[in-house]
Amino acid sequence: MRFANVIAATVVAMGLSACTSTRQVADTGFKPPQGNYRLIVMQPDISVGVLTAGGGFEHREDWTKQARDHVLTALRKQQANRGGNTTIADTRETAGGDAEMVADLYWLHTAIGRAIRIHKYSPQALPTKKDRFDWTLGMDAVAYGAQTHYDYALFLHAQDSFSSGGRVALQMASALACGFGVCVMPTGGMQQAFASLVDLKSGQIVWFNTLAATAGDIRTAEGAKKMVDELLGEMEPGST
Amino acid sequence: MLAARESGLLTPVVTRDYAPQDLDERGMWDQCVNLEQQLETSNLRIRDPVLNEYLVGVMQRLLPNQADKIRVFAMWSADFNAAMFPNGMMIVNSGFLARARNEAQLAAVLGHESGHYLRRHSLQGWRNRRATSAVMAFVAVGAGAVSGATGSNWYDLANAINSGLLLSVFRYSRELEGEADSYGLQLMANAGYSPDAASKIWKQLIEERKASAAARKKKYRDGAAAALSTHPPTEERMGRLAADGMFIERAKQSGLTYDDGRERWLAATAALRPAFIDEQVKQNDPGASLYLIESLAVDGWDGTLRYYEGEAYRLRDEAGDADRAATSYAAAVEFPDAMPEAHRAHGYAQLKKGEVEAGRHALGRYLELRPDASDAAMVRFTLGQ
Repeated sequence: MRFANVIAATVVAMGLSACTSTRQVADTGFKPPQGNYRLIVMQPDISVGVLTAGGGFEHREDWTKQARDHVLTALRKQQANRGGNTTIADTRETAGGDAEMVADLYWLHTAIGRAIRIHKYSPQALPTKKDRFDWTLGMDAVAYGAQTHYDYALFLHAQDSFSSGGRVALQMASALACGFGVCVMPTGGMQQAFASLVDLKSGQIVWFNTLAATAGDIRTAEGAKKMVDELLGEMEPGST
Repeated sequence: MLAARESGLLTPVVTRDYAPQDLDERGMWDQCVNLEQQLETSNLRIRDPVLNEYLVGVMQRLLPNQADKIRVFAMWSADFNAAMFPNGMMIVNSGFLARARNEAQLAAVLGHESGHYLRRHSLQGWRNRRATSAVMAFVAVGAGAVSGATGSNWYDLANAINSGLLLSVFRYSRELEGEADSYGLQLMANAGYSPDAASKIWKQLIEERKASAAARKKKYRDGAAAALSTHPPTEERMGRLAADGMFIERAKQSGLTYDDGRERWLAATAALRPAFIDEQVKQNDPGASLYLIESLAVDGWDGTLRYYEGEAYRLRDEAGDADRAATSYAAAVEFPDAMPEAHRAHGYAQLKKGEVEAGRHALGRYLELRPDASDAAMVRFTLGQ
């Protein structure tokens, strides 16, 4: 009987319902771009890999390439339905401008995106960032906009991980241990993404969204479409 | 792997037309692509064309068939270090370039890093960590389950097992580092560099660290002589490399004459040497800086070395250092290669001692040599007083 309870507990633990959460934030007075704007969608920064039993992330080249292709397709479809003049940079070079400057903006955005997630959203949010959203990519972004004549730049970063066989085995073993009173569940693979809209006239990040999901697979066309729709589908205006 | 070392000859796993096949290895190479793009555009990159061409030349001498597969990035970083990535990207720090005395010592480090690449140590290390951390995770869960089931405490045993496993990861890293040392020696001997240059680097580093510790009134402790160290202890490396008799024998028997390439090395690094030493002096470790400057001066002082000796004393600022610095600056300006900054420092030192005329003359000389210096206005203000 006790064993049956343990099995039941395991089944329940494994069958957690998938949840996706997004939280967007915008600069005061932000209105989603309308009319005849020029938007560049920078090459998405994608990484897909395996979550190992020991908790490490093992990047997989084949999965990453697959995901990047599907995300680009999804982005093209999504942006085609909106107004404005949108270019999607599938490689770094098609973004135009000075190659070194673009590379710098790229890495800067990754660092700032992480900082926003930590200091605006998480329990480590900074009190000075609480009632405002003032983050900038600086004068390099303005220079880039002047060179390329784009009005806005959209940056996207996504990471998806999938539990290895060993990780799943570890989770099952942990679920069994739950039956014995010691319950520490190792996490499974997760999907994490963030995106920023940068106003190239000022260099400011005027809109930001972050996504976390425990299910979903951006290596497939539907999974990539779902992620892109949830992350970029609806841009809400900022408070006035 | 230890067996390979004992038999003497290491062969490359990564040959000229190697492409990664396994999924985890391809993933590692893919991650390196991003990092390499970052390095290429980084403003910490040393872009001096003379140095970069020279580094390529030394690599070609070490690895005649594969040098084009390895990209060496010289980076501004004061630590004595170099790093290798699985896809052929190598980083060499300015902290190392400041301390190497000749081309043979440079080749020793380039050879060591190439050894990591040729034997796929990054991949081996990752696989070892992945497997060991998996075992550790199961041990932890098992301890919880068994403790819950039996009611007794199995956590101490689990922690002991996991501590042992963790230490094994570091020991594995030390073994890989030892293999890289051996491979580096092999490459050096084949390329015609004197193999004892490899051991000398470590001797120099130990002496520098002892000088640094003595200046701080501390006992010298080798940071690498610990169970958690990723590299073998420094003394051990020095000893092993010196005693690796096989390579020394081959060197003697091959009949090649070894030159340590000191002249070529000095020529290639001449333009950057002031900046390298400046970076070291600004690390606020006067014991180490003075040791470094004095050992670089073994073949003769020059204006640059005397100026930075003065800077090291001036920044150390202990009793009597102002006078020592003034003496060094006075010596520096006598050399034809004295930097404009040496004249400035000399001028300020003289003003401080009350030698007003001489000080004003020296500051005037500085303004002549560097009319658009960023502090020209301040120097003119001092002269105007």
